[in-house]
Amino acid sequence: MRIYLLCLLISFFPAAAHAEIAQQEMRPGISASAEYLVGERSKPAVLLLHGFLQTREFSTVATLARGLQDEGYSVLSPTLSLNIPNRTQSLACEAVHKHNMEDDVAEIGRWVTWLKSRGHRSIVLVGHSFGSLQLLAYLSAKPDSAVKAYIGASLIEAQIGTANRPALIAQLENRVHGKQRALVTQTLSFCKKYPSTPEGLLSYARWDQARVLAALRQSPVGVNLIMGEEDNMLERGWLKALQHMQAPMVIVKGASHFMDGAHEFDLLEHTLESLERIQQAPSR
Amino acid sequence: MKWPDSVSIKQIALAFITGLMVLVSLIGGFAAYQTRAVTHSLEQQNLDAAKSELSAAVQRLLSRTEEQAVKLAYWDETRQQLVMPEYYTYWRDQRVYESGMLNNRYVRTALYDHSGLLLEPSPEKSSMPARLPASMLPHQNSGWLIDEAGAVALYYAFPVYSDEQRQALLGHGLIRLDFMPALLQQDTLHFIDTSSVSLALKPGETLAVSDLFPRLRFSARPDPEQLRFQTILSRTLLALFVLLVVTALLVFLAYNRLLVRPLERLSELIDAMQHGRFSPNPSRSQTMRISELDNIRRSLYDYQLQLRELHGSMEHQNREFHTQARQDALTGCHNRRAYEEDWENFRQELKTAPQGVAFLLFDCDRFKTINDTYGHAKGDRVLSIIADALVMALRANDRLYRLGGDEFATFLSRTTPAQAKQIAQRCQSLLDASAFSDLGIVEPVGISIGIAFCAPDQLEQIDELPKQADIAMYTAKQPGRNRIALYGEDTERASQTLVASRETSALFQALATPGMVEMHYQSIHSLPGRKVDYYEALARIRYHGDLIMPDAFLPVVSSRRLETEFDLAVLHQVDADLSSGQLPAGCGISINLSALSISHPEIVSHLLELSRHNASHPLMLEITETSLITQMAEVRTYLDLLRTVNYRIAMDDFGTGYSPLRYLVDLPVDVVKFDISLVNKLGHDNRAGKVVADFARMMSDAGYSLVAEGVETDVVLRKVESLGIAHVQGYLLSLPVPLAELAASLASQGTACNV
Repeated sequence: MRIYLLCLLISFFPAAAHAEIAQQEMRPGISASAEYLVGERSKPAVLLLHGFLQTREFSTVATLARGLQDEGYSVLSPTLSLNIPNRTQSLACEAVHKHNMEDDVAEIGRWVTWLKSRGHRSIVLVGHSFGSLQLLAYLSAKPDSAVKAYIGASLIEAQIGTANRPALIAQLENRVHGKQRALVTQTLSFCKKYPSTPEGLLSYARWDQARVLAALRQSPVGVNLIMGEEDNMLERGWLKALQHMQAPMVIVKGASHFMDGAHEFDLLEHTLESLERIQQAPSR
Repeated sequence: MKWPDSVSIKQIALAFITGLMVLVSLIGGFAAYQTRAVTHSLEQQNLDAAKSELSAAVQRLLSRTEEQAVKLAYWDETRQQLVMPEYYTYWRDQRVYESGMLNNRYVRTALYDHSGLLLEPSPEKSSMPARLPASMLPHQNSGWLIDEAGAVALYYAFPVYSDEQRQALLGHGLIRLDFMPALLQQDTLHFIDTSSVSLALKPGETLAVSDLFPRLRFSARPDPEQLRFQTILSRTLLALFVLLVVTALLVFLAYNRLLVRPLERLSELIDAMQHGRFSPNPSRSQTMRISELDNIRRSLYDYQLQLRELHGSMEHQNREFHTQARQDALTGCHNRRAYEEDWENFRQELKTAPQGVAFLLFDCDRFKTINDTYGHAKGDRVLSIIADALVMALRANDRLYRLGGDEFATFLSRTTPAQAKQIAQRCQSLLDASAFSDLGIVEPVGISIGIAFCAPDQLEQIDELPKQADIAMYTAKQPGRNRIALYGEDTERASQTLVASRETSALFQALATPGMVEMHYQSIHSLPGRKVDYYEALARIRYHGDLIMPDAFLPVVSSRRLETEFDLAVLHQVDADLSSGQLPAGCGISINLSALSISHPEIVSHLLELSRHNASHPLMLEITETSLITQMAEVRTYLDLLRTVNYRIAMDDFGTGYSPLRYLVDLPVDVVKFDISLVNKLGHDNRAGKVVADFARMMSDAGYSLVAEGVETDVVLRKVESLGIAHVQGYLLSLPVPLAELAASLASQGTACNV
């Protein structure tokens, strides 16, 4: 199967060249870009979002985008600005993080709008890792009606290490309320030192496992999960918790959190299968 | 320039070593010059390398700064700060270093908005300009340097865009770094002396990076390899020079020790040999380390040994020759040569050491007779005995000289007349005690000694001593004398001395001056009848008007052996008298002639010439002192020759001395003249007179014509007549008269000579 897909990828490579970079000014002085891979109009467009502090050039995401386009899906793969003008590089953990979940969700909304402006009325949100969480946060807000489904790969909550999340949240809320602008350095996701504004960190810290699970349950669109069997970044029991959600979930054997290597094709295959199911399923 | 004729080997060695030193110094100088050239080239290369290195370092620093600027310009977080500069200081002071964008805390960066204003004031220690230079182009990178309180700062400004197309200019970034530390801390600086690098920049002056390099001042770091090379070369040259000097010194010392000194020793040895100085022990001489020289030394020493032996032998022979040359072979005493040398030396010594000197002259009495009687061998023995006796009698340091024949002499130093006479008496005593009888000589053998003395204050007369001793010796020989005579004192009176001296002077002057010998003629009468038959020419010497008689000068003639010279003078005078024509023709003349003169060619030649008068004046030769004839055959031959020219030969003074009959027998004698002492015997009628008478008769019977001379009394005359003696001569009948008187007498008497 993998070999077949590889041959397919190679034979349709000219079609992949049909792409464009879309750019939007998210906030004053803050522009962000996205790669738009044109697919078949009959198929839903996919908004594919990268992981924590990454860009669309991240290997897993880029491969998946190409694979989906090859299958005829139009794919918009944005790079979140993280409040950096024309961000093109992965943002270092130690950089000044002035972004927050709200900015991320807003930018996702802007890109959904952008897809709609391109005539796509059926949009499937596909995210990887923290991108899956940010898309879920978007779904928790007021998602556009054109969004029809959600595929979360390696979905993960906003991990804060060993810190007491409620205490941290409380502390951060105090800072925010006190308009204390000093950067707060905290463990977040895979960043051991993550300097951030209090409100930015607070916006992410609030997304613990419970809130994720709640967001999944309350998702207005169909949810599909693709998880790696060997994902070491996940908290213990997270997969079981997700399984209790009774949402469609594929666990890729042997795959890590990043679904890299040969598992990139597993991710593509399962994503395509999910997209097939989404297209065949009646809309809510 | 004149080159020396010869140079010593040491000078050659010094010249060679000096030349070698000069040559090596030249080579060393050339090497040093080449080294300096190489060093200069290396320094130039080093300087070029340093220049290239500095240029590269500056370029590298600028490139690195530009790279940092580009990275910063394209860094997302830079753009973020230009848009949201809330946490700009965190980014500036911490984030750029943690991210690795700037890797050195000495490198600072700052951001400026699009209008060129600084986002946030910089800390004091790294103050950044509040505004970018107005001259800076907004879309280009720009770099400049400025002197800030003595430290040069490099600023590099770069634009920051919000998009990749560099359309939307967000602002500018500025990198500041301390230029010199950044430049010199590069690990690739090997050729530059980092302490020498400086930038000629005035305080506050701004310098574009494009104009940077020409303003840099620097010098090359000394190349350690080059320094090591120079050090090694210098040390090598120095060591070589020191080694050469030490080697030259050692070579010179060795050369001096092994060659020069031995050669000098050999040269000194040869010089010593050349001057006759020989090493006392050549075999012990130090050996030489050069085998060839040692061979020469040994050969030289062997040669020296041989030469020394030869020299010793020659010295011995020379001494022998010298001794022989100065020694009389017969008697063993010193000879005349030694006498002359010693006398001259002694005279010289007297000039510095005045002293009394006595000169003794010894003469053997009647030695001729002894010699003729007993033969030469015994005569020689007599002389040896005399010499031995005299030597024994003399003092230890006195020398005896044989002057010739039987004449000896000695001179006594530091003596007095009394001591001299005492020594003379001792000589005579020892001689008297000598055993001449062992030789078969029965006659007494004695010596006459003449002494002359010169006091220390009369040394100017030292040269007169031999003559004075001669006179004294003549005096001593006078009959009745003591046989020892001291000149001028006890043996002769002063007047006699004067006479003696006067007679001697007269004799010598007469021999040199023709005419001084004056002939007196005494008639010889035939018997019986007493008629004058002929005249005997008798010699006198006319000296300052006085007439010196024969008894005064004949001893001098005899002692000085002047018989021949005197006879020649007589013959000259007789010839003159006969040639004068004063004597009437027919007057025969008899001439006295010493037996010693007969064998003299000049005498014979003169007699032959005189024989021309024989026709008018029959000539007779009266041979005196026949005992002195040594060459009997030769005399006989000459006499025969003379007889052929009509000379008649007479033997004079027969009966005196030791005139044996042998002469009468051997010689062609026509007339025998009886000596007056023998004639006087005839006056006594005794046995002696009888013997004489018988002898005369026998002679007459044998055919000899006899002449009795010295007849002074009638008794003797009658006796002579009775004996049948043909002729008579004496004062009884006539006295010798000068020629003029004789001629006048003959003329007055009218008598003519018998022819």
